[in-house]
Amino acid sequence: MLCLGAVALVAAACSSTPTAVKKKVHKTSTSSTTTSTTAAPAGATTTTAAAAPTTAPPAAHTATTTAPKATTACSTTGGALSATCDTQSPSFKLAGAGANSIQPFFTRVFYYYNQADKGVSVNYSPAGSSVGVTDIQQNTVNFGDSEIPIKTPATGTAGNILQVPVDLGGVAISYNLPGVGAGLKLDGPTLAGIYLGKITKWNDAAIAALNPGTNLPSTTIVPVRRADSSGPGYDLDQYLIDTGGAQWTGSAAGTAASTKWPITNVGIGEQLNTGVAGFIQQTAGAIGYVEYAYSLQASFTNAALKNAAGSFVKPSQSAIAAAGAQAANLSAANFNIVNGPGAATYPLANFSWTLIYQKQANTTLGVVLGKLFDWVTTTGQQQAAALGYSPLPANVSALAHQTLLTLQNAAGQALFSS
Amino acid sequence: MSTTLLEEVPPPRLTPIEGVKEGLQRRWARPGGRAYAVLRWTGATVFAVIVLGLVVSLLASSSQAFGHSGLSFLWSGTYNATKDIYPTGIFIIGTLITTAVAIILAVPIGVGTAAFLSELAPKWLAGPLSVLIDLIAAVPSIVVGLWGLLVLSPVFARHVEPFLKKIPGLEWFFHGPAYGPSMLLAGTVLAVMILPTIVALSRTALQGVANEDREAARALGATRWQVVRTAVVPGARTGIEAAVILAMGRALGETIAVAMVIGNNNALPHSLLAPGATLGSAIINNFGEANPGLDRSSIIGLVVVLLAITALVNVGGQLLLRRRLRAEGAVA
Repeated sequence: MLCLGAVALVAAACSSTPTAVKKKVHKTSTSSTTTSTTAAPAGATTTTAAAAPTTAPPAAHTATTTAPKATTACSTTGGALSATCDTQSPSFKLAGAGANSIQPFFTRVFYYYNQADKGVSVNYSPAGSSVGVTDIQQNTVNFGDSEIPIKTPATGTAGNILQVPVDLGGVAISYNLPGVGAGLKLDGPTLAGIYLGKITKWNDAAIAALNPGTNLPSTTIVPVRRADSSGPGYDLDQYLIDTGGAQWTGSAAGTAASTKWPITNVGIGEQLNTGVAGFIQQTAGAIGYVEYAYSLQASFTNAALKNAAGSFVKPSQSAIAAAGAQAANLSAANFNIVNGPGAATYPLANFSWTLIYQKQANTTLGVVLGKLFDWVTTTGQQQAAALGYSPLPANVSALAHQTLLTLQNAAGQALFSS
Repeated sequence: MSTTLLEEVPPPRLTPIEGVKEGLQRRWARPGGRAYAVLRWTGATVFAVIVLGLVVSLLASSSQAFGHSGLSFLWSGTYNATKDIYPTGIFIIGTLITTAVAIILAVPIGVGTAAFLSELAPKWLAGPLSVLIDLIAAVPSIVVGLWGLLVLSPVFARHVEPFLKKIPGLEWFFHGPAYGPSMLLAGTVLAVMILPTIVALSRTALQGVANEDREAARALGATRWQVVRTAVVPGARTGIEAAVILAMGRALGETIAVAMVIGNNNALPHSLLAPGATLGSAIINNFGEANPGLDRSSIIGLVVVLLAITALVNVGGQLLLRRRLRAEGAVA
C-alpha cells in the first residue's frame, strides 16, 4: 500500500491528474493547475475515462487568450443554472468539508470543473460526514457533504440548509483470505455473527453453508470497522437491522441505524476508509467495509451480499446503479436505499448529499456554488463510473436541479430562474 | 575608637553633571521597577486566568454528564437513551497501561542514551546524534501514528508478537490473538515519541553532576561504567525523574497517534497483545459525531478525567521531587 501511495504521489505531482491519491488521510486539495488542455489529461493512469470530458458549460474559456468572452457577471441573478458567468475576476476558492467516501469523486470532478472554468477552485477536506455537517451548520465552510442527510428540517446558524444529492456510491465488504477468490457469499445473519464476535473462524458452518463449493481455511476472522463515525457504517448497520435478525437488533446495536458503529468491543477499529483498507490489505483473515471506490483502487476481493430478492450480488457499477434506480421518491427525508428490491440490486448503496445554505449572504458566491453543483450533478457525472461510483439516475439529477433552483440571495429572491 | 556605620560615611562628592545623571537614574528606577512589577503580575494573572478559564469551561460543559451518572461516570461512563455508553473505566485502564509500557520502554533506553551522549561519546558523535534524536520530537503525531500503522503494525503482527508469545514465563502478558494494533504497539509508538524528551532532559541532568563526584569515584578505583552507575546517575536522579514525569504527561495525553495503532476496541484488554482504547483515542474518535447534550457532555467529561489524571501525575511528581530536593539539601 506504501508503494501504491508513493506511486500515486509521484503521478499526482508530475501530471496533476486527480486519480484518487491516498497520500493524505485528512485533507486533500484540488487547486487550479497550469495546464489548460481540454483533451483527456495525459497520464490518466489507473482508470479508463468513461467518456472524453466535454468542456463543460458552453462558451468555455479558450486555452491561451486572455480576452474574456461576453459572459455575465456572477452577481447577476435570475439566469439559468447551466449558463456560465465570469469567474475570472475575482476568482473563487471554495472550501468544503465532509464525507470521506466521496473524496475520489470530488477530487476528480472539481479538477475537471477547474479545467473548464479556471476561475473556480475547490478545496475539499474529507474528514468525515459528521465534521461536514458540523462545519456547515456553523457556517465555517461554503459547502458540506454527508452520506446521511441531516434530519429535516435541516438548519444551521445561517438558516435553512439545502441537501442536494450529488453522487451514488456503494459499500463493499472486502476481505483478505489467501486462497479464496472474490465473490464469497455472505448474508445478514452471518455478517451480524461476524461483527458480534460469534462467528470467529472462516470455515464456520454458517459461512460454509452459504458457500458449498468453496474450500474455506480455518483462519481466524478479524473484523475491522470504522472507529470514527461513517456513512458506510450506517449502511451496513441498516442492512444488518433489516436482515441480521434478532441477534443484531436485540443487542447493543438496537433498531435505529447510526453512523457510529454500535458494537465496539469486537474487532479492530481504524480511522477513515484508508485506515480500514490499509488494515485489510496487511492482515490475512481480515474483513471490513469500505467505500466501493476504495476497494476498486486497492483491488480487494469483495463479498457477494444477499439482497432483498434473495440473490447474491457483488458490488459493481451496474449493481449500484440498479440500487439507485429504485429510488423513486428520493428526498432528504426519504433517503434510504439500503436492501432495496430488484434481482440485480446491490444492497449496500447510498446517495451522498451536499449541504449548502439556501440563503446565500454573498450573491456572487451563491451563484458560483449553484452553477458548480449543477455541473457536478449533470455533466460531472460522466466522471463517476471510472472511479466506481454510478451516475445519478435521471430523477435524482432532476431533484438536484430543483433543489438548487431554490437558492436565494440575502433578500430572499431566487438566484436562478431555470 | 568608635566604629563608624555605613550610613555615617558621607556620600562621595559628585560633579553637577554626574549629580543630575544619578538623580535621573534614581527617578527612573522607581517607575521602571513599578512597570516591571506590573508586567510581571499581568503576565502571571493572564496565564492563570487562561488555565482557570479552560478548566472552568470544561467542568461546566461536562456537568450534565456528571449530573446524570454521578461519580459512577469515572468507571462506567454515561448511559443514555440511545445506548451511547463511554466506558470511562476501560479508557482509564487503557491510558495507564499504554503509558506504563511507554515508560518501561523509553526510560532505560533514554537514560542510557543520555549517559552515552554525556559521558562516553566522542564529541564528533555526540552533537549529530543528539540533533537526530531531537528531530524525532519534531515529527508530527499523526505522521508517527501513520508510520506505526503502516510500517510497525505488520512487523509486529508477523514477527514481534508471535515471538513474544513464545517466551516462557511471560504468558500472562502476551497471549491471545495478535493482529498488529494492540496496547503493546501503542506503547511502543508512545515510547518513540517521548524518547527525545527523556534523552534531552536526562542529558542536561547528567552533565550537571559535579566533576568532583566523577573524579572521586575514579580515584577510588571505579571503572568507567562504575563511575556512571554509582556517581553520575544517582547524582542526576532528580533531573531524570523530572524528565520522566514530563514524558509521562505527554504520553498520557497523546491522541491521534494512539488512535491509529491501538485498535479502538472498548473492552478490557486481556493481554498486552489485545487491542484496546485510551481516553485520548476515545475522545478523538467520538467527538465529531457527538450529539449536543448528554453525548457531547460525556465526551467533555472524558476530557476532564484526562486532565485530572495528567494534573495528578504532574503535581504528584513535583511534590515528590520537591521532597527529594529538600532532603538532598538538608543532607548536603
